Amino acid sequence: MNRTRRIAPIASMLAASLLLAACSSGGASSSQTTGTLKFVTDKGAWKPQFQSLNSVSQKDIKVSLNTTGYSDENQYQAFVKQSFRTKQSPGLFTWSTGDSLKQLVDQKLVADTSAIWKQEIANGNVSKDLEKYYTFGGKQYCVPMNIAYWVMYYNKKIFDKYDIKTPTTWAELMSDAAKLKKNGVTPFYQTTTLFTFPWFETLVAGTDPALYQGLSTGKVKYTDPRIVAIMNVWLDQEKKGWFNNAGTTTDPAQMLKQGDMAMINFGTFFGASLEGVGMKPGSDYGYFVIPAVNSSLTKTPVPVETGPMCVASSSKQKDLGLAYSKWWMESNAQSAWGAARGDVPFNPKATVKDASLKTLGTTVASGKYELVPRYFEAAPTPILNVALEEFGAFAANPGDPKPFLSKIQTAADTYWASKK
Amino acid sequence: MTSRITRTSILVFFGLVWLLPVYLLVINANKSPQAYNSNESWIPSGTSLISNMVNAWRLSNLGDSVLSSLIYSIVSPLIAVLVGAAVGFAIVALRMKHGFWWFVFVFGGTVFPLQMVLLPLFDGYSRMGLFDTHTGMIIVYTAISIPFSAFVMRNFFTGIAHSVFEAAVIDGASTWWIFLRVYLPMAVSALVAIFILQATFIWNDLLLGLTLSQSDNVRPVVTTLSGMQSTYGGAQLSTVLAAGILVSLPTVTLFMFTQKFFSRGLALGQY
Amino acid sequence: MTVKKDHYRWAARSFVAPGVLLVAVVLYLPLLWTVFLSFTSYDGLSSPKWIGAANYLQMFQDPDFLNSMSNTLLWVVGTLVVPVGLGLVLALLTFNLKGGVWLRLPFLIPYGISGIGVGLIWSFVLQNNGALDQALHFFGVVDNPRWLLDAPLNTVVMIVAAAWQGVGVNALLFSIGLQSIPKEPLEAARLDGARGFRLFGSILWPMLRPLTTVVIGLSIVASLKTFDIVLGMTKGGPGRVSETLALTMYKDTFVNSQYGLGSAIAVFLTVVTLLAAILYLREQLSKKNEF
Repeated sequence: MNRTRRIAPIASMLAASLLLAACSSGGASSSQTTGTLKFVTDKGAWKPQFQSLNSVSQKDIKVSLNTTGYSDENQYQAFVKQSFRTKQSPGLFTWSTGDSLKQLVDQKLVADTSAIWKQEIANGNVSKDLEKYYTFGGKQYCVPMNIAYWVMYYNKKIFDKYDIKTPTTWAELMSDAAKLKKNGVTPFYQTTTLFTFPWFETLVAGTDPALYQGLSTGKVKYTDPRIVAIMNVWLDQEKKGWFNNAGTTTDPAQMLKQGDMAMINFGTFFGASLEGVGMKPGSDYGYFVIPAVNSSLTKTPVPVETGPMCVASSSKQKDLGLAYSKWWMESNAQSAWGAARGDVPFNPKATVKDASLKTLGTTVASGKYELVPRYFEAAPTPILNVALEEFGAFAANPGDPKPFLSKIQTAADTYWASKK
Repeated sequence: MTSRITRTSILVFFGLVWLLPVYLLVINANKSPQAYNSNESWIPSGTSLISNMVNAWRLSNLGDSVLSSLIYSIVSPLIAVLVGAAVGFAIVALRMKHGFWWFVFVFGGTVFPLQMVLLPLFDGYSRMGLFDTHTGMIIVYTAISIPFSAFVMRNFFTGIAHSVFEAAVIDGASTWWIFLRVYLPMAVSALVAIFILQATFIWNDLLLGLTLSQSDNVRPVVTTLSGMQSTYGGAQLSTVLAAGILVSLPTVTLFMFTQKFFSRGLALGQY
Repeated sequence: MTVKKDHYRWAARSFVAPGVLLVAVVLYLPLLWTVFLSFTSYDGLSSPKWIGAANYLQMFQDPDFLNSMSNTLLWVVGTLVVPVGLGLVLALLTFNLKGGVWLRLPFLIPYGISGIGVGLIWSFVLQNNGALDQALHFFGVVDNPRWLLDAPLNTVVMIVAAAWQGVGVNALLFSIGLQSIPKEPLEAARLDGARGFRLFGSILWPMLRPLTTVVIGLSIVASLKTFDIVLGMTKGGPGRVSETLALTMYKDTFVNSQYGLGSAIAVFLTVVTLLAAILYLREQLSKKNEF
């Protein structure tokens, strides 16, 4: 009875959808050096900031970005890897330094940027120290998208309440933690997913940077007695209740604000998250470089994370991507980025919202500190994945570290054996 | 009757329990990001629901995605429902040879984990120029809806006595006419149920949209929203929850409207 | 009569064709590629390298894989008991009840809520010191189990969360089935004095068979593929204790870039699911004398 009455709207719907399908397509592509560049990134939440730079880039080099954000890390990587051989090979995309980048370079999938680096170092737009993270076989690939130092953020109101000053030695940090615990405040942050490595990295690098370095080259085993000893220190702290409840999935910025813990070992990009929950730098929160565990070390290690911005060598937009990459490293772009995100800039000539971050950048580049690569980039991917799981499991059920460490070592053995 | 009262009270009680998580969702989406405290999740406060939703809409440019998702959730299940019913009809009413195995073939499409379909499909779509197009998305959404539709319709049609088919044949009707004018009208409640369930599933899709589309005007709504959440900082929890509610409004409304439809019931032919 | 038979064969083929074609091209072709990959070692970047059945051998010897299998089995059983069982109870309770349709509504709303909302609400409810713990504290219960951190409790708890979404849908399908039961046999049985369980056992349950088959069949298939809810709540952790087969497959493929191993697990999962589906359906459908 009402079949015919249904057909008309159905037919028009189908027609409309076909029409829309015909009109829809992706962004423009061009092999020139001006136009709209398709950019994919796993930092999906930073899309508004990336887009905000378009007014400046359009003026300077007549290139603007069309950004697509992906929030799931694993799917993003699988997608990008798959796209290299298709027409969707990205003109510009973000990635990770370390083993992940090496994999792409080995397969000749990313464009060489050595000429750009040479020029920008000569112009003082980037420090030569950063170059090594982007160098493989004597050539450079990709340009730095960002840089972040891993430090200790703390809730200033809690510190003030219990009259705690920022520690300058490890012993002071330990006594601060004990004091907080005595007053019913959990000292440190931990989680069982993704960012499970910071404390391991702080403890190991802070005890002996050579030991930390040895792990990433396979010369030191995870089951090495020195590593076990360090893990037992962590275990002891867990038993004393110095870490928050492992099962929490609440956003860490939220937790710091609520006082669920007093301190969190995190990267300098965290400042923007804290502002997002309404905390102000200086009055509500502060940060300090974590003193070395081993007080006899001459330089304090500071883990640094730098993420690259890359151009796929098979992309139709390769020239466009390279033009944007070059512009990105210069002061106009970096100052605009500093205003948008408030991160530490890698370009010493750029201005940034939070002046103290800029000072941090110059301080850690000086003699008393030593930059070490963040564990996330230092550990080869197959080992990293197991390690992240095992550290998370350890945090959830703290106990004898040996079984957790042997699982990581098994993955390490397999990996290094395959490299011979 | 006491049994009526007992039944109703049990249902009301459990209905309320069932809605508790929804209560949590709503009151926490209502809190302002600045004043939010995760240790007070049961206590309502603030009036920021609308502003959080507006914020979420703005942050992720939802307008285009909503239109795309509407198209996908209406066109694909519609086609799938008809195609699935056709499969069921052929197997049951037309007594197709080896019907069981044809049915298994079609139903088998749903057996395979979706995650493994993604990358080969991306490759194929890219080659054929279907990547990041409305057509491409409609094709894949339709294909994944067919197995469920075929399954339900096949089973539903077995409840219709074959004598109905035979009588129509004697009356001189063609198979198409019998399908369109006899079987389909009898199956309306099942057709609508399948449509709604598949439309909801497609509306809520994340993975396929993530892999097979990129532009803001082709991406479905949940994929676009997922970009808001990231460990590197993103929207606050109350904003994300507000976005979740915003996105769920159409599907929840859909369920409420079609409830009236189901209450009309259906008298089937002899068994 | 032979002429008619041929006529139907053509017609049948044309009815079945669109469904078969779409499913074959969009869903079966990637399956074939995955089967191929399962015999190779492939990292997603270089070319696949043939290694024969090595992936399968490795898979069966991995204790984490065996744990994943037992979790998946727990999901299948749990899903049959909770969302399906409760769905049936709900459908029966609302059957022929005035306003029953509206009483069913609160159970349907969860299905309409998007995955983002559901995953978030439940982790937020079940995390340590989350909403559930806060509610229990309020009633004086202090020492709570760690819902999401201890196996197998976390799997059980996740099954409950899955049921929250699933009960309504199953109830809806069962209700459709109940509504299409013809009134005469039902009335006749009532007049004979059948009540409650007897009525259910002798009349309702057998006549529900077409829908029961659908619900149970779909439930078995869906629960074997459990992925989204585990990923959203525990990510298979802590460590790997709450992984299901689909999650293990996902981790091997997308996280560890071991496409060959992941494909082997996918093939294994598909074969198991298909076998389970065929065995169940064959048994159910052969009972029909219409066929």
